[in-house]
Amino acid sequence: MALGTATQVDSEVNLKADRPWVCIVWDDPVNLMTYVTYVFMVLFGYSKEKATELMLKVHNEGRAQVSSGTREEMERDVQRLHEYGLWATLQRDNEY
Amino acid sequence: MSSLKREENGEISIEISTQESHVLISLTEQLLELLSQGDSLAEAQDPLMHIVGISESDALPEDPVLRRLFPDAYEDSASSSEFRRYTEYGLREKKKAHARIIYEALTSQGEPEEITGGNTPIDKGSFKLIINSAELLDWLSGLNDLRLALAVRLGIGGNQQESADIDTKAIHNKYELMLESDPMKAVYAVYSWIGWLQQGLLEEISPE
Repeated sequence: MALGTATQVDSEVNLKADRPWVCIVWDDPVNLMTYVTYVFMVLFGYSKEKATELMLKVHNEGRAQVSSGTREEMERDVQRLHEYGLWATLQRDNEY
Repeated sequence: MSSLKREENGEISIEISTQESHVLISLTEQLLELLSQGDSLAEAQDPLMHIVGISESDALPEDPVLRRLFPDAYEDSASSSEFRRYTEYGLREKKKAHARIIYEALTSQGEPEEITGGNTPIDKGSFKLIINSAELLDWLSGLNDLRLALAVRLGIGGNQQESADIDTKAIHNKYELMLESDPMKAVYAVYSWIGWLQQGLLEEISPE
């Protein structure tokens, strides 16, 4: 019983260790909703539904997590989002 | 007012007045100039670092427009500076390339007899601008940078705490009520027009 629980905890820790960083997009009233959706589709290959859902989250809640991965991957995502004029930051997953 | 149309070959044609074209040319020129600030200085400091795209400077840009175009990537300033040092040069070059595509498309419009390629004059006061699908994202991004730059001058957004509460309708009403003589009213009109152009392009591509 105790062993089983410990294994479960271990696997959770490992999952988190695999994807410890997240990329956040912040709401900017300048960027058109259709543009933000389009950028999410083009940069991340997200479906129109998923991209629209994320855009609405940014719009309504002020921010949304748009991707997760290693620190290097998230830095690359932030860089590409900045290239297209979106306001993005990265941080450790547990801070979000 | 411009009109947009998607051609059968996937290209988008925009009928644009020469006056609108001049406004866009002037704005992209200013943006290119701003994005080039400090370039020669950086090159002089360390040519090798310049070639590989690493900047000597990792400070937040002084110009508020540049700060808006190159925001901090991290909450803590040390990590942001490090990120900036390795990415800002490359980002500037990308943004310059986007602006240049717009600038060159507009400035290649000469007198009717000089016009070559797909750009056909409609009448003296306007011409047909062709955007092919490969350049579309660059156009959208370049137009977005122009809107971000104008937004800084107009005081729209740019603050993490405020931006969630900003009411775009209220901003619109504020400028609508301004006197015609107020120069900011004209700036807002250009800002709105570029937004309209960007929206038109997005509607024409309507990705599935």
